[in-house]
Amino acid sequence: MALKDQIKTLLQEADLYRHQGLLTEAKTKYLRAAEVIKKNEQIKNRDSLIAAIQKKIASLEADTERVEQGPSSPRLSDKAQDLIQKLFTFADTDNQEDQALQGAIALAKFGQFERALEELGKLLDNPQVGVEAAKNIINCHLSLSDTEQAVAQYEEWLANDRFDSSQMERLRTFLEDNLEKKGIKKSLGHSPAVEEPAEEPQDLGTPDEEFIDISSIGITFEEGPSKGSMVEFDVNFQSGNIISLIIPSQDKAMIETLDTGHKLNDIQFYSPIAIFKGKGIVSSKTQIKSGPKQGDFCLDIKITST
Amino acid sequence: MAIFNLKKREIECKVVYYGPGRCGKTTNLEYIFRSYKKQITGEMVSINTEGDRTLFFDFLPMGLGQIKGCDIRVQLYTVPGQVQYSSTRKLVLRGVDGLVFVADSLEVRREKNMLSLKDLQSNLKDNGLSIFKIPLVMQYNKRDLADDGIPLMPLDQMEKDLNRQLKVPAFPGSAVRGDGVGDTLKECLKLTLKNLQKELKWAK
Repeated sequence: MALKDQIKTLLQEADLYRHQGLLTEAKTKYLRAAEVIKKNEQIKNRDSLIAAIQKKIASLEADTERVEQGPSSPRLSDKAQDLIQKLFTFADTDNQEDQALQGAIALAKFGQFERALEELGKLLDNPQVGVEAAKNIINCHLSLSDTEQAVAQYEEWLANDRFDSSQMERLRTFLEDNLEKKGIKKSLGHSPAVEEPAEEPQDLGTPDEEFIDISSIGITFEEGPSKGSMVEFDVNFQSGNIISLIIPSQDKAMIETLDTGHKLNDIQFYSPIAIFKGKGIVSSKTQIKSGPKQGDFCLDIKITST
Repeated sequence: MAIFNLKKREIECKVVYYGPGRCGKTTNLEYIFRSYKKQITGEMVSINTEGDRTLFFDFLPMGLGQIKGCDIRVQLYTVPGQVQYSSTRKLVLRGVDGLVFVADSLEVRREKNMLSLKDLQSNLKDNGLSIFKIPLVMQYNKRDLADDGIPLMPLDQMEKDLNRQLKVPAFPGSAVRGDGVGDTLKECLKLTLKNLQKELKWAK
């Protein structure tokens, strides 16, 4: 190919790639064109051609930097945030509180933390989802790398008795685990009613996106009226390695057996892609005070091994 | 995952356009929005573009009329293609029923295509889905650039790179001109609805 045509082709390609937004590819072609021109002294206006190409490369580099340095999660309009809440609520339930919680979590996942915090704050007083909302508030602060605010928030709830002692214990464990993952060892204050922290089983972490989704579990009981038999429960909610179940109020014996701290050594976990066995511990038991499931018990089980 | 409302006789399913950055996913949706006005049931929403790069997703709702007495609604989404937005892609992919993989025919984007397909496979797996089982159609986009003398990969090479194992329907296309856009979408919808039919056992 004649030299002139070669340079022309390289520049045309570079221009097209730039137009397509393929900045790296465009730069490669401009550099190649400049290299060809530099090697061939007989080219007329060599210096001005090289200068023109270098100007294009500088402009490209400015564009590249702008793209790379731009905020990864810019604040979206209210309308866009509403859409995210609507489109990314995957709650398999008609329960409005669950849906509201999932919508708030979706906002956080899209980096809309300010709005997420606002929506989660509205759910704190809800007996069904209040603790999960609190956990996700902590998560928001941690995602913003504001560990101080996460701790301050926890301490505020503790000081104001925002939650009961077993709920505060769940939040304390959750926050301490997450701080430890960030290399921060901090012992948080706990509710006076809890003299010793609950036994700390093997930490599986609570990476929402890393722990498999569990749809239901089967517990084989080692004591009580259901001893030796496996009873299945649907998972009402999951946050990392903590799953929540609802036990109907009529199952008094089961409710009595599954007390906070009770170890479950034989659990079958059912997920969309696998069934696996493991162990867990009942980390909290709360009676639902209002709503359609009033009187039933909400049980949190922390998965300790699989 | 498709939403079936048997009481209202409504089915809503989700189709996602996937592919490397700048391959033409948004351009596909923009063409569909302009050209299929009768089927479009709402505005096309592009959630924040930086210049003209999709940062979160595009969204376009469509209605396909009735099939066996059920109103069929489809939500089309695109994902951001740049490597750094992997977590957003995973979020948008959740609940997907059908996929269009838009590949860039430019020779310089060959590796990006393959990396993006691998990324899709991985994100589907994380969502409990298999790339071998989900309704999927390929589009080899930007075929028009051959007219400008820009080096493109031949179609058989793209088939070998991207479709050797999957063996899904593939269409050459030019989203800026609209070539192949409709065919790609129609085939994807056909496969998606066929798959949903199995789940709903419509035949019975």
